[in-house]
Amino acid sequence: MAYIAVNTTDTFVRLDIKDYSLAANANAAFATTANVLTVPSLQDITVNATPGLFRWQELGFLSEKVVTTPSTNSINTTLVLDDTAFFTGNASTAGIFDLTNNKTQVFFRLYWAGDDSGDKYIQGSGYLSALAPTVSPTAPVWTAPVTIEVVGDYQSGTV
Amino acid sequence: MTIRNTLLANLSTSLSGTSVSATSELPFTAGGVTLYNKNMKKLYLDNDQNQRTQLFSTIDNNDVFQQEILVNAYITVDAKNEPSDISNVITKVVNSRFSVANCYVRECEVTNTYADDRLTYNFEFRFLTL
Repeated sequence: MAYIAVNTTDTFVRLDIKDYSLAANANAAFATTANVLTVPSLQDITVNATPGLFRWQELGFLSEKVVTTPSTNSINTTLVLDDTAFFTGNASTAGIFDLTNNKTQVFFRLYWAGDDSGDKYIQGSGYLSALAPTVSPTAPVWTAPVTIEVVGDYQSGTV
Repeated sequence: MTIRNTLLANLSTSLSGTSVSATSELPFTAGGVTLYNKNMKKLYLDNDQNQRTQLFSTIDNNDVFQQEILVNAYITVDAKNEPSDISNVITKVVNSRFSVANCYVRECEVTNTYADDRLTYNFEFRFLTL
């Protein structure tokens, strides 16, 4: 039993995104750091991998039966907005606002606890959504939730 | 410029013509008696007290911190014979917080304490900035 702790520099969660048009697949997208935007200042992150379910009941059975249907996959995060990541992006990968506004498909890779050799990640492609930047007088720094609506399956891997 | 200096500059002007005056001396204790108890109807401002507190925590150490600055001020008056303009003085002292710029929280809390026949007004200014 080993906890997946993310409390040290070497084990920080890292979320990378890259414009979908710049690579053939996720492995190729993150084989180099070119055009990869590392999303900074994540406050929290939630990975949703939820198979759909179809349930039915039959006379003569005390409990429901169930089969799975295609999964709904998404990644929810909240971040403190960084000017570069939000507006500028990295080279040919636009900033988070433009990626959302232009409905640009992206590759993503989420490192669960660091990105050293042997560390685990999941990756795939999707669309950024649910962007809702907010600021208030008593918390005068912009923050925003962002959701990556995943297209198809996650792929898991090891650095 | 410290916030104390900003408040002091504002209060030196705004309290002129009232029964209370602002002094640049710190409210230290001399001979077992604090200066504001010894010299009534003088406003003493303490130095800034700074602390950094976390506004937003992030999971990659890019935390956002805010700076909290506390400044205490003291005025002692004769409790048996309060200056007739004391409420005006208190209003001016409380409103001096608006002279401090670039802070998103500018608060002032006033409390009273009695010692024999002396009434001490303690003003605690609280400022938050990034």
